[in-house]
Amino acid sequence: MAELYVKPGNKERGWNDPPQFSYGLQTLAGGPKRTPLTKRIAAPQDGSPRVPVSQTSQGPPPMGPPPPSSQASRPPPVGSYLASSVKPANLPVMESETLLEDVLKPLEEALEDCRGHTKKQVCDDISRRLALLQEQWAGGKLSVSVKKRMALLVQELSSHQWDAADNIHCSLMVDHVTEVSQWMVGVKRLIAEKRNLSSEEEANEEKSTATAEEFQTVPGVQEAP
Amino acid sequence: MATYLEFIQQNEERDGVRFSWNVWPSSRLEATRMVVPLACLLTPLKERPDLPPVQYEPVLCSRPTCKAILNPLCQVDYRAKLWACNFCFQRNQFPPAYTGISEVNQPAELMPQFSTIEYVIQRGAQSPLIFLYVVDTCLEEDDLQALKESLQMSLSLLPPDALVGLITFGRMVQVHELSCEGISKSYVFRGTKDLTAKQIQDMLGLTKPAMPMQQARPGPPQEHPFVSSRFLQPVHKIDMNLTDLLGELQRDPWPVTQGKRPLRSTGVALSIAVGLLEGTFPNTGARIMLFTGGPPTQGPGMVVGDELKVPIRSWHDIEKDNARFMKKATKHYEMLANRTATNGHCIDIYACALDQTGLLEMKCCANLTGGHMVMGDSFNTSLFKQTFQRIFSKDFNGDFRMAFGATLEVKTSRELKVAGAIGPCVSLNVKGPCVSENELGVGGTNQWKICGLDPTSTLGIYFEVVNQHNAPVPQGGRGAIQFVTQYQHSSTQRRIRVTTIARNWADAQSQLRHIEAAFDQEAAAVLMARLGVFRAESEEGPDVLRWLDRQLIRLCQKFGQYNKEDPTSFRLSDSFSLYPQPVLLDSSSILADRILLMDTFFQIVIYLGETIAQWRKAGYQDMPEYENFKHLLQAPLDDAQEILQARFPMPRYINTEHGGSQARFLLSKVNPSQTHNNLYAWGQETGAPILTDDVSLQVFMDHLKKLAVSSAC
Repeated sequence: MAELYVKPGNKERGWNDPPQFSYGLQTLAGGPKRTPLTKRIAAPQDGSPRVPVSQTSQGPPPMGPPPPSSQASRPPPVGSYLASSVKPANLPVMESETLLEDVLKPLEEALEDCRGHTKKQVCDDISRRLALLQEQWAGGKLSVSVKKRMALLVQELSSHQWDAADNIHCSLMVDHVTEVSQWMVGVKRLIAEKRNLSSEEEANEEKSTATAEEFQTVPGVQEAP
Repeated sequence: MATYLEFIQQNEERDGVRFSWNVWPSSRLEATRMVVPLACLLTPLKERPDLPPVQYEPVLCSRPTCKAILNPLCQVDYRAKLWACNFCFQRNQFPPAYTGISEVNQPAELMPQFSTIEYVIQRGAQSPLIFLYVVDTCLEEDDLQALKESLQMSLSLLPPDALVGLITFGRMVQVHELSCEGISKSYVFRGTKDLTAKQIQDMLGLTKPAMPMQQARPGPPQEHPFVSSRFLQPVHKIDMNLTDLLGELQRDPWPVTQGKRPLRSTGVALSIAVGLLEGTFPNTGARIMLFTGGPPTQGPGMVVGDELKVPIRSWHDIEKDNARFMKKATKHYEMLANRTATNGHCIDIYACALDQTGLLEMKCCANLTGGHMVMGDSFNTSLFKQTFQRIFSKDFNGDFRMAFGATLEVKTSRELKVAGAIGPCVSLNVKGPCVSENELGVGGTNQWKICGLDPTSTLGIYFEVVNQHNAPVPQGGRGAIQFVTQYQHSSTQRRIRVTTIARNWADAQSQLRHIEAAFDQEAAAVLMARLGVFRAESEEGPDVLRWLDRQLIRLCQKFGQYNKEDPTSFRLSDSFSLYPQPVLLDSSSILADRILLMDTFFQIVIYLGETIAQWRKAGYQDMPEYENFKHLLQAPLDDAQEILQARFPMPRYINTEHGGSQARFLLSKVNPSQTHNNLYAWGQETGAPILTDDVSLQVFMDHLKKLAVSSAC
């Protein structure tokens, strides 16, 4: 679900700045192994300069067209994102717009769930940042991509998919830090608090089933999130 | 020989080791006659997705001067439950846990496919990883904003229980107290005066706790005294406040008048960072990450003054010993680097500026501690941002690739000794039976410390054969070496990686062909290059070049077939097809109808020949009948993408064509077989002439052959 794109680098500030890969592209596990490009070939021993077969060039070359495609053309390799002239990717037109309420309401509900379990100060801080998110969203300051991914994040959060939600938050921080940095850390904390809350609830359930069934096993050690 | 290429490749994949020679000359005299020393490149933490670590501790040889680890080369008596150390021949009893072993029920560490094996050490407290950001605020607005955002982003990439701290500096140095309360406090130091570690620790109120740090607490890791430093707090507690704190950072308020440089107290800032960690978390994995946008201009470690009309030291100044601040500054950073390495911490330097930032004086900080040094033009570039992101890249298990606090020990069978190591390490000064008196690289020890490393970190390790000439080839015919790397894994587990290898001895007089066939020329080239660079740190340039030339000539004399005084008869076997031989990156490869992709590791250059460029301009790639041309244009882009997506650090990316100004990146690197000097002598005008006075590699080889066959040499 992560967006896969390449943006050009900052040519004004950096000479030959390389293109910027989105978080999704960078974390993509290496695909099918291509031919290794670093096999070294030895030079001929007699040391004679290699005479390649090609036309000599005196002044502007005679400009014939390239050889036309005669055979079936090679299928384009999977996952090419670098274009001949690296242009910013065109974002697909959204069929339906992401609604602020669809994102904010589940987040606020999640915060309410945590109120009993998390320190007041932390909850207030998260609340403040959700308000900031609302303000920026309503003020039209957030891009379509950010809104779309927030909707996905909220879905994962509601389904208790903590790692997936966390991954989306990382991808937003990496790809859109300027837009999201002020409030995203609140969402990050919210995911962490919900995760803790939920594992505590599970542990309590296990304890009560354990005593009910009179098992002797000790509940498993909590893994750090 | 095809078989040795496979052998070399398999060994590298399994053990992370490549030797210059894979069949070893059996006497000291013959080994020195090989010219290229017996040495290896070791990647201690080579990624092995197929090698799960074992959850028990290694079995050691009981001889106190040996302590080698049980390995597949050891002889085992399964009935008597005894094993013989292959290094010192001591017979050892297996520990009680091994009573069940037999020929058909071997422990992993005895199986040949586990020549490399990793153990997880269970005992001891597991200390969290520590990241201390040291941030220059004398940056332009855009740059500071971009850097702030990168640091905020990194908080999302750090593990929740890692500790993080912040020091900012400009004219003054500020150590920020991180708390969850609303009010943010900081301790301010003058940037002009250096302080001792004790003074820093006193001024920051870091009194020693009642319980000493080193005492390991039994039981599950809970609220440790470790966690209570006000300046280094866990990410999961402090991320919101630190995000705000970073967001509020301002440019250094001290005004910079016309004709002046900003006052930048890098030396003191780094000193305080080192002292802070020294006083709170010695001997646990920590990174000091220095972000700077210009040279240090005041206080200890200053590299240039604040008057713009006095330029920063140039190469000529250094040659003529006229670089005013250089010696003192280098000494300051070397002192800090050595202290940091002793404490088991590492220093990264991220320097983004269009001018120099004094990396010459500061390089020891990264080199001695195993930290990174990243150079960019601005923090607001994709090169910096993505390189920085990739520091936090994860492996197939979801753990950080970075590792900390490694110690490497090298043991050898008695015919060999260790002469030294070259790489991002410091000596642990451990003498022992394996240590040679002749030093190559960092010698006088068989143990080194590498405070920061990752799965690509590689050391060159140099050996000495000590067998006397005409002494018989050792019993069993094989020599052995064991590499033991203890380190802190990013999951905070302590682990031990053990690699034990063996190679055959051979008598150089009668079996030179065998030795030659097992020569790894790529490894040899790298090992010789490292030796050359190491020498260049302390010797004059021309002397190093003379030494390199002499080695090449001697190598050709030893292994070449030739008739004396007849250069045209000179031949080297296939084992020396690449080293020493000219390479194929030649100016004659630059042709009008070719696309070249050049990878120098730090740059990726795509170069379109003249005709290709004209076709592209004419738009043939958009016509359906010329679809193969479209694919041709796309092919190097795909190859470049594959490299750019994964490489650390991020390379620069140059997409250019014939006649383009950026073509100079390619033209300056190719072998100038055609220059303005010889173009017309050959009578053919293919390829692009390079405007240089350097000789081509062909000319160099001709000279080399002449010298090799000459009786005078």
